[in-house]
Amino acid sequence: MTYAVLSVPDFALHALRRSDPGLCGRAVAMVAGEGRKARVTEVSPEARAVAPGLAAALATSRCPGIILRQRDPAAEVEAHRLLLGAAFTLAPRVESTRGGCCTVDLQGADPARTEALMRLLAVELAGAGLPLRIGAGATPLLASYASRCAEPVLVVRDPGNFLAPLPLAFADPSPGQEEILRGWGIGTLGGLTALPKAEVGRRLGAEGVLLWERAAGETARVLRLVEPARSFSAEWAYEPPVESIEPLFFKLRRFAERIALELRGAGFVAEKLSLTLLLEDETDHRREFRLPEPGADVEGWLRVLNAHLGGVRTDARVAGVRLVAAPARPPQRQDGLFDTGLRDPASFWENIARIAAIVGDDRVGTPAPVDTHRPDAFVLERPAEAVTLSAEAPVHPPCGPALRRFRPPWPVRVACDAGSPARLEGGRLEGRVCAALGPWRSAGDWWKPQAWAVETWQVELAGGGVYQLACTDGGWCVEGMLD
Amino acid sequence: MAPPSQTVSALRSLLAARFPERTRTPCGGVPAAVRAIDDALEGGLPAGRLTELVSAVPSGGGQTVVARLLAATQAARQRMALIDGADGFAPEAVPAGALRHLVWVRCRAPEQAFAAADLLVRDGNYAVVVLDLRGCAERALRRTPSCAWYRLQRAAEGGSVAVLVQTTIPLVPAVPWRLVLDTPLSLADAGAPREAVADRLSVRTERSHAQAVESLAG
Repeated sequence: MTYAVLSVPDFALHALRRSDPGLCGRAVAMVAGEGRKARVTEVSPEARAVAPGLAAALATSRCPGIILRQRDPAAEVEAHRLLLGAAFTLAPRVESTRGGCCTVDLQGADPARTEALMRLLAVELAGAGLPLRIGAGATPLLASYASRCAEPVLVVRDPGNFLAPLPLAFADPSPGQEEILRGWGIGTLGGLTALPKAEVGRRLGAEGVLLWERAAGETARVLRLVEPARSFSAEWAYEPPVESIEPLFFKLRRFAERIALELRGAGFVAEKLSLTLLLEDETDHRREFRLPEPGADVEGWLRVLNAHLGGVRTDARVAGVRLVAAPARPPQRQDGLFDTGLRDPASFWENIARIAAIVGDDRVGTPAPVDTHRPDAFVLERPAEAVTLSAEAPVHPPCGPALRRFRPPWPVRVACDAGSPARLEGGRLEGRVCAALGPWRSAGDWWKPQAWAVETWQVELAGGGVYQLACTDGGWCVEGMLD
Repeated sequence: MAPPSQTVSALRSLLAARFPERTRTPCGGVPAAVRAIDDALEGGLPAGRLTELVSAVPSGGGQTVVARLLAATQAARQRMALIDGADGFAPEAVPAGALRHLVWVRCRAPEQAFAAADLLVRDGNYAVVVLDLRGCAERALRRTPSCAWYRLQRAAEGGSVAVLVQTTIPLVPAVPWRLVLDTPLSLADAGAPREAVADRLSVRTERSHAQAVESLAG
């Protein structure tokens, strides 16, 4: 096989159904024309008594409840991009033949591997709402015929046997040619190609020779190649705007399926996702997600998006959605010999995202010190994938019981005796101080407006408990307990 | 707790005899690097189980246990999660190098802590999950339905994570191990090395796995 043709029968109908969750499982027909001239062009399997060519009014009477819809160009563009993305995963030389059909030049590809890939693609796209048929053969035309007969993949290895029983209509004869050939008793491609090509040419002229060549599947042509996607994004405008998460999530799934295929076709994975909700009041809600592990796993992306969307509240309805994937090369990583990596990275990052949706983005992560002596200064960083041993011992080994902070600190009145705290009063903590250590004075950022200075004491109360007190310009407070 | 009736005890014995493979036994442990706790738990926090550590007195040493646990898990190159119900963890109290393996969840309410624990205990990437509920309102904690605790216990049983629940009052029903820190530290401990402070901690075993098995057997 040298060429493959990927086609979707009833493309306009399937493109529409995959873009509108309300059409799933319903009797739907595509119509062309207006008013009484409207005719059915494509029909979903649920509309049993309706066939293409039927008047729209008749279709409604034969199948009550049938949904009649015009073609949706935006949905078809989105579906065709999905199809192209699928084609690029087979080979880099792809022609966008027409809406719902593309031809791939497979020269140099491993036939067995390519056939297996084609079967996987057919399953994947069926799951994405496009029932794909793939035919492969020695010429684009032969591959095209094969795709029309495929269930869902057909590789033509013996063109003669494959073509012989096919109806003449496959070769697209003109009405005149069809009538003449019917008069000769010829109704199949095999019947026509059984005649000598020169004799057919003598009787039917040059057009007859072209028809014979088409019937033999010999017609070769140069593919008009298209470039693979360079930006990996998708956008949709809702009409009318939506208020719930379901239509949003449905569309994001469709976007993710397409973008993942495009990334795979281009040899990339996604490193970051950027989600923008365009709101009805002309503002937007934008969020960027660094993916747990760069990849093209649609379900993984959707888990991250779902975890975020579950907690999003907007002031206005959502009028549009945009998803952009930042491409990166697949990670090539080897942990250190004594490092411990994640057992299940997908679960790890997914749970971090879920917890961030519960407690807030800025409240989960790995704490890291910042370059200051200001009390309680730290940042939360993205957790490391590998647990490494600390290379060097700390300069100041930890001493004493560990501090547990009260956030916010508890205000307290402190009665001092000879400069050191003697009694705590009037707050959540009261009692006589039986021992005190301090003061430790620190200050910083004096050159900035947010300059700070603090005097810290550690006190033990007579009733039990060791606490850390801080005295600032604002007064005394209990910073925490030494526990 | 009232003793189980004779019928229930007989039924439990019968089930234990018929399905010995279903009798749950502890599997391995994560050393807490606190002598009293490791001795009480016979090696460390049991994997796949909940352990409740009750700080019955102020400055009982609960936070020192967390700090030592961080050092121990880091030395063993294991990952640890701290679900901080009242947002009390002070990163500056621990050397920066002993924090790189920590995932710290700063909760605002006990409900958030339970939701986070439910996810992290099932995660599979953590050796220890600490659910620190000290500082949370006691009323809110007492309102926690027991099914939340049982759910957490069942989730832990499926994996290899050791779950340490830090409380100020006994909270977890049917917990296999409940240890109580009932001796307060003093200001005299402030200058001592952290390891020495940890070694001075006093732990009372209020409930152990063996006791739990005995009570189940009636």
